[in-house]
Parts: sequence; C-alpha cells; structure tokens
Amino acid sequence: MRVLISPLRFILEALRGRKLATIGALWLLLIIVLGIGAPLVAPFDPLEIDPIARLSEPGAPYLFGTDHFGRDTFSRAVYGARMALIIGFGSVVVALLCGGLIGMLSGYFTGLGHILMRVVDVLMAFPALLLALGLMTILERSVMNTIIVIGTVYATTTARILFGMTLKLKNDVFIDAARCTGAGHFSILFKHILPNLLSPILVQATFIFAFAQLQAAALDFLGLGLPPETPSWGNMLAEERIYITRAPWLLIYPGVLIILSVFSMNLLGDALRDRIDPRFKDDIAGV
Amino acid sequence: MFAYTIKRLLTLIPTLVAASILVFLFIHLIPGDPAAILLGDSATPEDIVALSKELGLDRPLWQQYLLWFRNVLSGNLGNSLFFNTPVLTVIADGAETSILLALLTMSWIVLLGIPIGILSASFKGSWIDQITSGFAMLFASIPTFWLGLYLILIFAVGLGWFPSSGFPSLSDEGGLSNIRYLILPSLTLAAPNAALIIRLIRSSMLDVSREDHVRTARAKGLHPAKVAVKHVFRNALIAVAAAFGFTFAALISEAVVTETVFSLPGIGRLVVQSILRRDYPVIQGVILIIVLLYLFVNLLVDLAYAWLDPRVSLS
Amino acid sequence: MSKAEALLRVENLNIAILENKQLQPVVRGISFDLHTGETLGIVGESGSGKSLTALAIMGLLTGTPIRITGGHIWFKGEDLLQQSKAQRRALMGNAMAMIFQEPMTSLNPVYRIGDQIIETIKQHQNINANGARKRALELLDMVKIPDATHRIDHYPHQLSGGQRQRVMIAMALACDPDLLIADEPTTALDVTVQKEILELMAELQRTTGTAIILISHDLGVITQTCDSVAVMYCGKIVESSSTKNLFDRLGHPYTRGLINSIPPLDNDIEWLNAIPGQVPALNALPTGCPFQPRCYHAQDQCNQAPPLTLIDDEHKVRCHFAVQLQSSDS
Repeated sequence: MRVLISPLRFILEALRGRKLATIGALWLLLIIVLGIGAPLVAPFDPLEIDPIARLSEPGAPYLFGTDHFGRDTFSRAVYGARMALIIGFGSVVVALLCGGLIGMLSGYFTGLGHILMRVVDVLMAFPALLLALGLMTILERSVMNTIIVIGTVYATTTARILFGMTLKLKNDVFIDAARCTGAGHFSILFKHILPNLLSPILVQATFIFAFAQLQAAALDFLGLGLPPETPSWGNMLAEERIYITRAPWLLIYPGVLIILSVFSMNLLGDALRDRIDPRFKDDIAGV
Repeated sequence: MFAYTIKRLLTLIPTLVAASILVFLFIHLIPGDPAAILLGDSATPEDIVALSKELGLDRPLWQQYLLWFRNVLSGNLGNSLFFNTPVLTVIADGAETSILLALLTMSWIVLLGIPIGILSASFKGSWIDQITSGFAMLFASIPTFWLGLYLILIFAVGLGWFPSSGFPSLSDEGGLSNIRYLILPSLTLAAPNAALIIRLIRSSMLDVSREDHVRTARAKGLHPAKVAVKHVFRNALIAVAAAFGFTFAALISEAVVTETVFSLPGIGRLVVQSILRRDYPVIQGVILIIVLLYLFVNLLVDLAYAWLDPRVSLS
Repeated sequence: MSKAEALLRVENLNIAILENKQLQPVVRGISFDLHTGETLGIVGESGSGKSLTALAIMGLLTGTPIRITGGHIWFKGEDLLQQSKAQRRALMGNAMAMIFQEPMTSLNPVYRIGDQIIETIKQHQNINANGARKRALELLDMVKIPDATHRIDHYPHQLSGGQRQRVMIAMALACDPDLLIADEPTTALDVTVQKEILELMAELQRTTGTAIILISHDLGVITQTCDSVAVMYCGKIVESSSTKNLFDRLGHPYTRGLINSIPPLDNDIEWLNAIPGQVPALNALPTGCPFQPRCYHAQDQCNQAPPLTLIDDEHKVRCHFAVQLQSSDS
C-alpha cells in the first residue's frame, strides 16, 4: 500500500521552492478569509443603494468606488469572493461526487464501465459552455442551479479521468494482495484504490475550481447565470459593462480579482500536479 | 489507416444518435406544453392543437423522435419563433461570421502558439521561457469577455486601430478589408487557447526530449534545431493533437461570449439571444449542429492522432 | 604499438555533476588508449562512471548538468575537448558512433527505420536519395535483418528488441566510423539474442576494422568480445590489462571479487561469493583507495591513494600491493 499523505502536507510539499505558486496559495487563502468573513469585512451592505454617490471614484468611504446604483464596489467584491467560493466548492463537490463516483465504478467494474463511458462520451459531445447554456435554458437562474450546471459539465471530464486512473490501479499488484486477504469489492474501492487517487483528485479539484470561476463569470456575463441581484464578480462585470469608459474601476476590480484567483488556482494546480504519482500525470489534462 | 477510419466512423454513429436523442428531448424538458412553447406567446389554442397534431405530440415519444429525426435529415429544423423563417436559414446567416472567426482564431493559435511553444521548450529556464510561461498561464486565467472588453477599450476606442463591434459580410461593401472587424475578436478568442497550447507543447517537448530516441538523434550529429523540430516536436505533436479537440470545444464555447462582446452576427450570439428570447427551435437547431460539428472535429483529431503515431493504426 | 598511433587516447579525464550549484566529481582522472581495430571493454557497477565516460567521448553531455572538469580526449590526434560544438557534431555518427542500452526506446517511433538510417547517411555524406536508400539496404543486410527490402519501410514497433538493436548497429556503422562505443548493448536483451548481437559485432569489426569500446557490468560479455579490459570503480580505473591476463593473473582485489562472484557451473556452492559491503556514495568516498572498506587486504597504507602499478606486460593495477598479491596464492 502506498504511503498516504494528508492533503495539507501534500500541498505544503508541492509548494516548496515555488515562489509564485506560494504567493498564489496565499492569495487564495486571503480570498477564503474574505469570503467567509464577508459580513464582518464589508463596510456596507452589498445591495444597499446610495443614489447620490453613483459612479463615484475610488476613495473613502467607498474603497473601490460605487456602481451605477450607488452600491459600494468593495463590499460587493468581498461578497463576490464569498460567491466565488460557493460556486467553486459547490461545483467541485458536484463534479467529484457524480463524476468521480461514476468514473471509479466504471473503472473497477469494467463491463458496466464501458457502457457508462459511452454515455459520458455523448455528454462530452456538448462543448462545456453550450451544455451549461442548454441546461440553464431549462432551469431557472439561481445559485443552486448554476452550481449544478457547472458541476455537471465538469463531472464528465472528471468521470473520464478517474475511469482511466482506476483502470490503471485496478491491475496493480497491491489490489491482488488485498483480494487475497478476502477484501470485498467496495472495501477495495474505498479503502485501497481511493486513497491512492486522493492526490490526483485534489489536483483535478483545483482545476475545476478555477474553470468554474470562468464559466460562472461567462454565464453571468451572458445573463444566464446567477440571479441579477446576487453580488458576484461575474455579475459585477456584466452589469457595469456599459460604463467601461465612464467608470473603468467598476470593471477593473472584479476583473482583476477573477484573474488573480484563477491564476493562483492554476499555479497551485500545476505545482500539485508535479508532485503526484507520475503514472497519473498524463491523465490530468488540466483542461 | 483506411480501416481505422472506417472503424472510427462506425463508433461515431451510436454517439451521434444518442446525442441527437438528447437534443430532441431538450424541448420536452422545458416546463410546459411543447407545442405552446414552440409557438410562443401569441399562439391561439387552435394553433397549439394544430401544431400538436403536426408534430405528433399525441403519439409515443419514440415516434416523435423518429419524426423529428426524419425532418432533421431532410433539413427541416423547424421555424424560428422570432424570425419566422426556417431555423436552418437563420443559422446559415450566422455561419459566415462564425466560420471566419474560427478560421482566423485557429490561425493565430497555430502561427503564434506552436513556434512560441517550441522556443519556450528549447530555451528552457531562460528568460524567454520564464516570461512566455508566465504570460501563458496568465492569459489562460483571463475571462474571455474581460479581455475582449479591454481590447476594445485600448485598441478600438483608445487607439482607433480597429472597429469595436459588428461585422459586415465579406460580400458587402469593403470586401476583404472587412476582415479587420474580426481581428480583435479573433485575438480575444485566440489568447487563452494559444496560451494553453504553448504550455502543452512546452511540457510535451520537455517530456519527449528526455526519451532515449532523442539521445540517439543527437548521437547522429544532427544540429540541435533539427533535433528539436524533427524529433522532439514531431513526437510532442502527438500529445498536442488531442488538445486540439479540446481547443475546438473551448473555441465554440468562448465564441458565444466573444460574439456577444463584439456584437458579431454569428451563431454564438444567435444562441444567447435565442435563449433570452425563448426561441427554442433555434436553440435546439444550433445545439444540434454544433454537436455534430464537434463530433466530426473529434473524429478528425482521432484520425490525425493515428496518422501522427504509427503505433496506433498499425497495431 | 606506440602511443602516437592510438586512435583514441583519453588522458586524465575528470567529469563532475552539477548539483545544487556544486560540482560533485564522478569520474576522477582516468586514462586509456584504444587502437584501430581493437576492442576495449570497460567494466564496472552502476555509478562507476563508465557511461559518463562514453558520453563524454561522444560529446553527448551538452544540456545536462554534467561537466567535464579536466583532461584531454585525443581522437586521431585532435583534442575533442578543445573543439567547437559544430566540429564535434561533424564527428558524431560519422567518425565515431554510439549505440545504447535500450533498443526498445532508442529508435524514434514515428519514422520508418530506413528513414532513420538514411538520416545519418545524409547528415554526413553528399549522396542522393537513391544512393542513401541503397546504402541503408546494404547496412540492413550487413546486420542480418531478414527481408531487408520490406523491413526498411517498417516502423520500430514492428520489430523485436534484437532486431531494433541490429538497426541501431546499422545506423551506427552507416558512415564507416573509426570508433564505435557500445554502452551495455545487450543488457536489455535475452541471453540467446545477446550472443547473436555480440557475434554480429565481432564479425562486423573483422570486416570494417572499427575500434570498439564495449561498456558492460557483465564480465561474461567482456570476455567474449574484448581484446583488453579496463575495470572502473568509483570513477577511477583500478585495473587495465588484456582480457586474457585479467583472468590468468591476480590483479586488483575488486576484480578478483567480481570474478569470484560468478557462480561456477561445475560446482555446487551454498553461498554466492558477493563482495562484502556496498559501493560508497559519491560524496562519501573513503580517503585514499575507494575500495578499502570492502577489501580483504586493506591496511593502513591504503589511506593514501594507490598509484597505478605495472605488474606485467600491459597489465596495470591500482593497488599498493599489486606486486605482492601476484606472488601470494590467495
């Protein structure tokens, strides 16, 4: 049985010597703290309107300025961080639970697996955003639905990836050894195979988190994502788009926040990927 | 190679059929009566009944599917609710824009991405490499629409080098020079994808250069550039080929956003507008066509993969 | 034969690995000669520096963290280490060629084997496509690839390991090299195939007169093919002699250990005679003679580096007690 490394130690070791990735990780930590502590950090209610101060430039008391409704951009940005985390983690959970489970079961019970993978293939015939758009047409705009839609989109690639990895591990010697001790199927799957997949799964999770941000932002921008009033970085960009010349700060802050967060996640994902079992390196396309 | 092609085509068919079933079911998944949905708000009860009969909505689902499928094969994808013209016509109108945009974008990706990727791998560790890698990862993290907006701000509004929106057809006044309307949009689309390709080529080439046969090539006294291109890159291309399938999917997805940002009369913007307008026949039609296109592109990628790697088709 | 006539003369070659910005010596001052038509075997365990020596001679160390830190490599009168990269490339695959240990992965999988041989030919010779292809067919016949006219258009994955190694040999001999370096050419092959490849190499040498350096950890392979042997340990040559003398006369304790560890075919033994201890790490070498901790004859004097002592005609041993060990019976 391979040595199991706890996720935290894995991350810390992966970051060693990589300055840029460590900065990225710290940025993400900052975002997480801001997001969780949004009610405490944000000076104003993100929905609160101050019509007199519409489109005012950054400066006290509105750190990032105000938007066309007079809402404080900084507060909206902080709550946007919270939304980014919710969307990100939500999508990851959906993608990993559905996709991961399907992938692992398919890889282990190969007969069933080939059928399931064909189904996944069909779903993958729909390019990501298109699938998301299609699903959003049927569903209403809401946070939950956005999470479900984005999660489903990435569940397909996750299923494929975990299918391949489980297949590789299934034929490994230590599985035979486990069988010899009388371990049943599910015991093997969850006690032997899954622990060895934790690192690649973690890497995959970081990439999904990053892509979820971009997809959510795109959906918001098109008016098909989160409900209009929700403070999210994507919505901020969508609503303030026409003011790009009059009030450029309205687009810079949320844009830069998205870019930095996605960039950080990519850096982190890359650093983690370099540390995982070389056998799985090719499986994690990161795309 | 020929046998392999036939084999792949055959495996494609079930996927195509299955995908078409999903697209067909799309209308039925929307809450409400399909006929009412298809006719829109202005429909009278008589119209709804008539359409129901015509579509065979009273018949079992699988029969409806076959009816729909037959219609599709004969080019009848229904009528657009908004334009009141056949869906196929509406889509065809947007085709010129989207196809040109796609071609231009792929050109940027290939012409910029491949050489930069090769250079980056060949000068690994140098400042060229570090800067390109850094920028590549950065560009892969930028939301397409944000990039588009700022390109418009800088180059269209600010410097006035390019128009900021729209695209008159090449057959209109202006002719070929109308391509300049597509320069900023195609760069917007190309940037994140080229970045991905650059990173992929770089890591692929680095992996390949550690392989034994590259040492053999060097032992023959070949010039390092020749080794890099003819031996390392040629093998790295195998890994990259798979990525082109992904890239195409990403292109389609992001084209939707880009066309919206730049107000281009293409299929992408058509999809978004149709969704907002609840023009379901068009939505369904576009999704079907794009899926077909995507599956076809994947097939091409598979074939390219087999052509690039003799071990695949000859085993 | 005088030294001036040597085809290849390695003089006090020092090679080091750049690790964490520090140079860790690996090959520490080795010297040997090779004459035309001769086969020299270099024996040693992994880490002894034998492969690095080969790569240094060929010039395949650019772009790696391995640095040549001293010495000369005289090839046909010119010091290779003073030459430009372009000059060395002109020699590679031409006047000197190399084949490697892993035939399964040493050929480019996406090009036909004929094209890969032709690539070498065209790189160094002014010859047209037809001529090159004819020469490639000739070479495939020479290395005994059956049905060469068809096989020439095959891809590497369609050939067996032994056949791929033959193709490698054909590629190496394409431009009539004066020197062929073979780094463990048969280690990855079955024993029967091994024999065929070695016999092929010997036969080709008889026809072409190419000098060969054969690197191996297997004494059996060395005895079958080499005129002379150099034994390397921890980056130094500890013994060099003609192959016959290596076995007939008692030389370096390390060599004795290697020879003794080969299980006899005619006796039943209970235990294998392994050399006690392990090869020391590069950065933890003992002072003086590196073999000291494992040597049955070690004494205080061994803390000083032993010189290379000539104990017989062309037979040199790097040991303080080279001569004494000769006269004892142990």
